[in-house]
Amino acid sequence: MINRDTVTVAIIWIIATVAVEIAFSFVDLFPAAASEEAVIVDDAFYFLTYIAIPVFTFILVALSYSIIKFRSRPADDGGPPEDGPPQRTHNAWVRGWMLVTSALVVTVIIHPGLTGLWEMDEAANKDLDFVVKVTGVQWAWSFNYPDQNITSPELVLPNDTHVRFDVTAVDVVHSFWVPAFRTKIDAVPGLTTEIHANITETGNYDDDINFRVQCAELCGREHAIMQSPVRVVERAEFNEWVLSKQ
Amino acid sequence: MTALKPLGRAILFALIGFLIGAGLSAALVEAAGRDEMKEPIIAGGYMFALIGWLFGVGVWGSWVREWFGATVKPFHIEGWGRYLGFSTDHKVIGVQYGVTTIVIFLLAGALALLMRIELADANSTLLSRTDYNTVMGLHGIMMIAVAVAALMGGFANYVMPLMIGADDVAFPRLNALSFWIVPPVAVLLILTPLFGGMDTGWTGYPPLSSQGPTGNLLFLMAFTTFGLSSILGGLNFLATIITMRAPGMTWSRIPIFVWAVFAASLISLTATQFVAYALLMVIFERVFGMHFFDGTIGGDAILFEHVFWFYSHPAVYVMILPAFGIELEILSHFARKPVFAYKWVVRAFFSIVGLSFVVWAHHLFTSGMSSELHGPFMVLTELISIPTGVVFLAAVGTIWRGRLWLKTPMLFAMGVIANFLIGGLTGLYVADVVTDLNFQDTYFVVAHFHYTIVGGEIFALMGAIYYWYPKITGRMYSERLGRIHFIGMMVLYNVTFIPMFIVGAQGMNRRVADYPAEFENLNMFITVSSLLLGLAFIPFVYNMVNSWIRGRKAGDNPWGARTLEWQTTSPPPEENFETQPVVVEDPYGYGDPDAKHFEFPSGSGHVAEPAGGDD
Repeated sequence: MINRDTVTVAIIWIIATVAVEIAFSFVDLFPAAASEEAVIVDDAFYFLTYIAIPVFTFILVALSYSIIKFRSRPADDGGPPEDGPPQRTHNAWVRGWMLVTSALVVTVIIHPGLTGLWEMDEAANKDLDFVVKVTGVQWAWSFNYPDQNITSPELVLPNDTHVRFDVTAVDVVHSFWVPAFRTKIDAVPGLTTEIHANITETGNYDDDINFRVQCAELCGREHAIMQSPVRVVERAEFNEWVLSKQ
Repeated sequence: MTALKPLGRAILFALIGFLIGAGLSAALVEAAGRDEMKEPIIAGGYMFALIGWLFGVGVWGSWVREWFGATVKPFHIEGWGRYLGFSTDHKVIGVQYGVTTIVIFLLAGALALLMRIELADANSTLLSRTDYNTVMGLHGIMMIAVAVAALMGGFANYVMPLMIGADDVAFPRLNALSFWIVPPVAVLLILTPLFGGMDTGWTGYPPLSSQGPTGNLLFLMAFTTFGLSSILGGLNFLATIITMRAPGMTWSRIPIFVWAVFAASLISLTATQFVAYALLMVIFERVFGMHFFDGTIGGDAILFEHVFWFYSHPAVYVMILPAFGIELEILSHFARKPVFAYKWVVRAFFSIVGLSFVVWAHHLFTSGMSSELHGPFMVLTELISIPTGVVFLAAVGTIWRGRLWLKTPMLFAMGVIANFLIGGLTGLYVADVVTDLNFQDTYFVVAHFHYTIVGGEIFALMGAIYYWYPKITGRMYSERLGRIHFIGMMVLYNVTFIPMFIVGAQGMNRRVADYPAEFENLNMFITVSSLLLGLAFIPFVYNMVNSWIRGRKAGDNPWGARTLEWQTTSPPPEENFETQPVVVEDPYGYGDPDAKHFEFPSGSGHVAEPAGGDD
C-alpha cells in the first residue's frame, strides 16, 4: 500500500537512520581493548548496532508519526472517536516483513556471533606461551604459574603472549572476568574450565580499573570485592617478577 | 468482624500446623542423633503450616470436607469482606491477585530504591554487603512473582472469563487455592532477613544456595510454593479457554489477549515443574544433606543452571506474552481499528512458546558448558526475533491510519512498543555469544532485562490497570493524574535505565554493593533519576485509591469497546452476564457498520449504556 503517509514515513526513516548511524560512529563505549579477543568482541558489538539502528528508527518513526498524524479528537459526548478504516491485515506487508526480518536473522544477525566464535577458536589455537591456573575461593583469587612454579594473588602477564587460563573453584561458583580482555568463564567446583587471551596491550589496575580480575558470578557476602589487580608488562619485566617470586 | 474470621482461622491453623510439623521433624532429628540440624525443623514446620493455613482459610470447609462425605459450606460474604476469604468468584480472585501483586510491586520497588541509594557512592555505606545481597535477592524474587502473577493471576483471572463469555473459570476452587498459596510466599520472603538474609539472588545457584544462612532455605521454599500456584493457574486457564467459551466463540473469534493467556498458560503449566524440581533438590541438599549439585563429590553445579533456566527463560514469556496481548487489545480499541494481522500474531505467539523451550542455554554461555552448543543456542535464540517482529508489525499496523484516542491506557500501550523495542534489540547482544562473553553479569544485562520486563510488561500492566479500572471498580480514574503518571514514568524510566547500558559496557558488574570509583558519576545520576521515578508512582497510588472511593461512575462501556467484558454492568454481577451472550463474529469489526461481535438471544440480555467517556 503506497500512499502519502507511507512515503513520508519512508523518507523520515531513511534520514533518521543515516543520522543515527553517523552519530553512533562517533561513540566509543568501551574501555581499552588489551587482547585480540577484546577486539573480536567489540567489533561484534558495533556490527550488531549498525544492523539494529535501522530497525530501531523504523519502529520509532512509524510510532511517532502515527501519534502526531493520526491523533483524533473524542466524540462530542466524550466517547471514542469515529472508527478508523476496517483494515484487518495486508498479507503482502506481513509476508514482506517476515521475509526481511527472517533474512536479517538467518544471514546477517547471526554473522558476528558465528564468525566471532570462529575467530576466537583461531586465536585459541595459536601457539601457547604458558598456562595460568586460576582458583576462586570465597572471596579471593589465586594464580598459579605451573611452568614458572610460582603462586601469586596478583595476575601478572607479559605482553604479546598467548595465555590459557585453567579456571576452577573450591567452594561455590565464581566467574573469572578481566574487563580489559572482555571474556569471562565461570569457575565451577569440581570442574576445570578454560579461556584464552592473546594479550596485545600493557596496563595495570592503578592506571585503568579494567585491568582487574573481577568475580562475575554472585558468590556470597564479599562477592563485590572479590577482585585482584592485573598487570600486563613487557617480557623482561615479567621475567624479573618471576625471579623475584621464585 | 465476621469478615476477618477466615483469615484469623487461617493464621491460627498455620501456627498449630507449624508446631506439629516442627515437633515431628525435631523428633526425627533427635532420633537420628543429629541435634545440630535446625533446617529440617523449619522445613517440616513450614510444610504443615502451609497446609494449616490453606485448611484454615477455607480449603477444608468449602472443599476437602466433601471428600469425606460431609457437606461443604461455600464461602459467601457480601461487601469488602469477600476479598478476605476463600471466594471462588474469578472476579474476586482477580482483585485479590491484583491488589496483592501491586502491594508487592511497590514494596519491591522500595527495595530497589534502597539499593540505588546504596549505589550512589562506590562503597558500602547504607547497607552492609550482606544486607545488600538480601535486599537485591528479595527485590529480584518479589518482582519475578509480580511479573508472573500480576497479569496472569490478576487480569487474566478477572477479564479472560468475561472476554470469552463464561460465568467463571473451569475450576473455581482450584483458582481460589492458587491465590491463597501466595500469601505464605510473601510471609516467607518477608521473614528472610530475620534468618540471616539470603545471599544467592533470585537465581539461587547451588552450591551457594545449599550453604549459607537459613534465609536461603526460606527463599527456596517460597519460590517452590509460588511455582505450585503458577502451575495450577496455568492448568485452570487452559481448561477454561478450551471448555468454557460462549456459544459461537470459535478459535478465530477469541480476543487476542485470550490467545496470549492461552500461550502463556502452556508455559506456566509445563515449564514451571522443572524449576520446582530443581529448587526442591536444593532444599533436599539443605534438609537431608544430599549432594546433587556439589561438584567436589560427584554432583554437578551446571546441571542446576540448565534445569533452572529451562523454566526461567520460558518464564519471561509468561510475563511478556500477556503483555503483548494487552498491548494489541488496547491499541485496537483506542485506534478504532481491527488488530492488524490477527492470525499471524496468534501464530507468532505459539512460535514464541515453541522457541522459548529451546533457548535456555543462552544463559550459560560463560558457564563452562560444552562450547559446541554455543552456536546452535545463539542461532535458536535469535530466531525469536522473527515472531517478535511480527508482534511489532501488528502493533504498528494496528495504529497505522487509525483514529488514535490518546487516553492513559493507550499511552501506556504505545509506551510498551517503544520500550520493548529497546529491550528486544539489546537482546541481540546478550544472545550473541561473543558479545555476551563480555556483557554476561554486567549492568548491560540488568538494563536489558529491565527494558523487557519493566518497559514491556509493567508498562502493559499499567495500561491494563487504567483500561479495566472502570470495569472492575465501576468508577473512572482521573485522566489528568493518569497522564502525569505516564509522562513521569516514561521519561524517568528511560533516564534511569539507559545509563545502565553504558556503565555495563564500561565494565561494571552486577549484584555488587561496592564498585570501582570510576563509575560513581553515572551511578549517582541513575540513583537520582530512580528516586524521581519512585515519586512518579505517588499520583498513581493516589489516583487508584481516591477514584475507587470518590471517582465518577464510569458506565458500562466508557471506551466503546467491542469485547464481551464491556457488554455487562460495571462491575459485572456474580454470574457475569444476565443472559448468555452468543458470539457471531470476532470483536474487532471497527469501521464496518455491519460488524457484530455478539448478540443476546431473545433480546432479553443486558443492553450496555451508551459510551460516555471522561473529561
